[in-house]
Amino acid sequence: MNIRERIKNHEFILLDGGMGTMLQSAGLELGGIPEMLNFTNPELITGIHRKYVESGSQVIYTNTFGANRLKMAKTHKSVQQIIRTAIANAKKADPEYVALDIGPIGQLLEPTGTLKFEEAYEIFREQIEAGQDADLYIFETMTDLLEVRAGVLAAKEHGNQKPIFVTMSFEENGRTFTGCEIPAMALTLEGLGVDAIGVNCSLGPEELTPIVKQLCEWTKLPVIVKPNAGLPDPVTNEYHFDADRFGNCCEEFVRMGAVILGGCCGTTPEHLRALADMLKTQKPVLRKPEIPAAICSANKTVIIDQPRIIGERINPTGKKRFKQALIEHDTDYILNQAIQQIEAGADILDVNVGLPEIDETEMMQTAVKAIQGITDTPLQLDTTKPDALEAGLRIYNGKPIVNSVNGEEDSMNTVLPLVKKYGAAVVGLTLDKNGIPKTAQGRFEIAERILNRALALGIRREDVYIDCLTLTASAEQAGVMQTLEAVRRVKTELGLKTVLGVSNISFGLPSRELVTRNFLTMALYAGLDLPIINPNTESMTSAVRTYKLLANIDKNAVDFIAHYGGENAQQNTPAKPQSADMTLEAAVSAGLKSEAGAITGVLLENTEPMHIVNQYLIPALDKAGMEFEKGKIFLPQLISSASAAQAAFEVIKSYLCEHSTETVNRGTIVLATVKGDIHDIGKNIVKILLENYGYQVIDLGKDVSYEAVAEATEKSHAPLVGLSALMTTTLPSMENTIKLLHERCPWCKTVVGGAVLTADYAEQIGADFYAKDAKETVDIAKKVFNN
Amino acid sequence: MISLSEIDRKQAFRYMGLHGEPDAQMLNSANLCEKKLLSAVRPRYCWNIFQKENLKTILIGQDIQKHLENCNSVILFCATLSQGADVCIRQAQTIDVLSGMMTDAMASALTEQLCDEVEKEILSQFPEKFSTWRFSAGYGDLPLEIQPDFLRIINAEKRLGICVSEGGLLIPTKSVTAIIGLSDMPLPKSKKGCGICNLSKTCPYRMKGVHCS
Repeated sequence: MNIRERIKNHEFILLDGGMGTMLQSAGLELGGIPEMLNFTNPELITGIHRKYVESGSQVIYTNTFGANRLKMAKTHKSVQQIIRTAIANAKKADPEYVALDIGPIGQLLEPTGTLKFEEAYEIFREQIEAGQDADLYIFETMTDLLEVRAGVLAAKEHGNQKPIFVTMSFEENGRTFTGCEIPAMALTLEGLGVDAIGVNCSLGPEELTPIVKQLCEWTKLPVIVKPNAGLPDPVTNEYHFDADRFGNCCEEFVRMGAVILGGCCGTTPEHLRALADMLKTQKPVLRKPEIPAAICSANKTVIIDQPRIIGERINPTGKKRFKQALIEHDTDYILNQAIQQIEAGADILDVNVGLPEIDETEMMQTAVKAIQGITDTPLQLDTTKPDALEAGLRIYNGKPIVNSVNGEEDSMNTVLPLVKKYGAAVVGLTLDKNGIPKTAQGRFEIAERILNRALALGIRREDVYIDCLTLTASAEQAGVMQTLEAVRRVKTELGLKTVLGVSNISFGLPSRELVTRNFLTMALYAGLDLPIINPNTESMTSAVRTYKLLANIDKNAVDFIAHYGGENAQQNTPAKPQSADMTLEAAVSAGLKSEAGAITGVLLENTEPMHIVNQYLIPALDKAGMEFEKGKIFLPQLISSASAAQAAFEVIKSYLCEHSTETVNRGTIVLATVKGDIHDIGKNIVKILLENYGYQVIDLGKDVSYEAVAEATEKSHAPLVGLSALMTTTLPSMENTIKLLHERCPWCKTVVGGAVLTADYAEQIGADFYAKDAKETVDIAKKVFNN
Repeated sequence: MISLSEIDRKQAFRYMGLHGEPDAQMLNSANLCEKKLLSAVRPRYCWNIFQKENLKTILIGQDIQKHLENCNSVILFCATLSQGADVCIRQAQTIDVLSGMMTDAMASALTEQLCDEVEKEILSQFPEKFSTWRFSAGYGDLPLEIQPDFLRIINAEKRLGICVSEGGLLIPTKSVTAIIGLSDMPLPKSKKGCGICNLSKTCPYRMKGVHCS
């Protein structure tokens, strides 16, 4: 019987037990590569498989946990050879099903690690393709949801529709090493359409109990449990649960509703026999979990059971400074917008990076990767381009919202299949080829149409959110109540969650904030779940918080008091800039960020921007630089001044964007932390200081390939390239980068720096300059650009 | 598991290159960074004890041999602040470069504190033994190239989620591997001098004629 039929029939399925444990007791050498035993001692491997089959195991995992091209690089065997041989060894034991076992790649993904999502996908694809003779694929002991997503996508796209099982390893706090939580795992993987999910390794049956319980509440898929034989002894590292105790403890999982069981570290054929015996006394429990409307990142789940704020600021519409940042690939600017909104109270961030001048698909990927690298706030991917949407969906680490589909056939045909494939939630706009219906009834009908189409594709009802569209009150005053009526009906009659961008309401009216805030409150009362607002505007965020208090959602006003009670009360009246008697130089020198920004704003009222840069900012930085050289101040103070100057500079940049086409540019410099190195603090300090001096910095980031440095230098024709490396092991990368630059960009000079570098070594590898610190890099730049 | 409730700020300020007393601005930044960092990290460690002769693949070079000269058993441990520290540093860098640098230095100080606690915890299980100070890859002639084998031997990838990047760096970045020798007999006092430090050529402390610790 096909394993999917067993699942459908709701039968128990017994997996196998520990392989490593058995190999160790057979004398595998310390640090040895277990996959090689498939060749050197196939009888041993088949023998272990057979013992498990004899104990009752129906599914045998191949001995391929680490059989990926990175971990097997030194074995002189190809991934194909290893996997095919391992499958053959497993088949010889004659089990009902052979599962291709796939463990973690062994490299952490970007941005903490250096492995790219696309590389991870390729590594898994190779394993999946080599394992076509297996009956199913099992990803186990996974801890990074993004890595799992790469694997599952590879299996979905190259695995001939074979069943996919995924188990992850959790700590007692209910999270994996990378912080992934159980609801996020369940929402994401069920969305991707795997066949069964669960947990393995890391803990024993007793510690896993609350984790399995939570998983059973969050998924309708069959739940897998493969625990260790208790916790290991700290000194001997041996597991102490005997077979009977193991089998008895696992009974609890069956009661909770788990149907696929096995054992991990420390378990033996005896443990599996005990498990099989226990299952004979049990009947599978039918679970009927009610899973709420929710979206997530790997580390954070947002349940839409009350109004949740979607921050709208990551969007270039009507924002010149944002457009400039996109054109310049200034991801720091975007990240700053993300952080500000989260700190102001956003629960979800809308991400719109569409601009005719740029490649939106590439930018969507860059932005999603960067944002999810610094925050766990879930995202809403906002684009009209299907390519850009899919690019974002592919690499998003969790379950996002797609913004948006509408009632047009074309839109539904392109967007909804992507929503289904990647397991997202979706915003449906109540408009179609005839435009936005004037009446609530018309919009309700479109909402219904979108819902039915989504349901037909297998998208859950809970994952369809409807935007009944806000029209401006100044142009269509009668439409306001129609929108609110549509919200009410969609919510009560269709039972769907609702979204509204509210700020449009006040367009063309005086006192916009007043109008928008009142409309927001009315909409919340009508049933709005997801207001799309600027959370940095305190009156908007406070309206949502106040609504939650009055609607008895914020029980005992806990959240409200936390924000507006006691010592926080004052903070919410806007602070006056205390800059009346302070100069910009003094603010920079003292490292006062907000003051430096505020003073610059005042200065711009009657001073030319370039005058501020040349006469105030640069002299202040020069002074700090000089004091640093003399040892009067130290690096932290220099950086503190640089941070203040950075704040002043940001104000000037925004001003220039709004008022002229002029930009500050004293010369273009490419910066990169070399390939293999991920320590970029030093490079970032250099970047800020150079920018403060008015240089245009093209920051390529960390772990940058030689080619990428050469390419950026060619494209920008930059006269100066700065390279940093912290480790001795990555110095050769620096040398190679310089070599390539000499070949391809003979005009450019190179400056190098980093903890282990010396002037001698810099010369030896062909660098033009060695900078011992950020200040010296600025001096070198001045020399190179002759300014 | 070990919990760390405060950061050795003195050490963090030293890592940043701050001499003398920090001013109010610096302290303010330190308070913010410390709070965020402490809530972001999940300190973890794992270890095993081995007979010295079973560790031939990683005890490479003269310095570690000399270090373990009078020892028969060897403890390998691995400790990490977890990926949370990396995320926290990246986030701080987004806010401004001072916070980034401060958070990074604090995380480094916290990693050392973690190692001190781990060492104490492990050695408390061997009250009758004498131990060496902890030695790490990259000291003296013990190459960083042993890291993959080191992690494999104590199964650190599976137990802690640590890996070695292709460039030879431990990831998450605030992670350490260390070697401690154990002996039944008192060990001669040896100091961790500058000679075996790979930063000895560029060390700003040495240039001033002082030591880093």
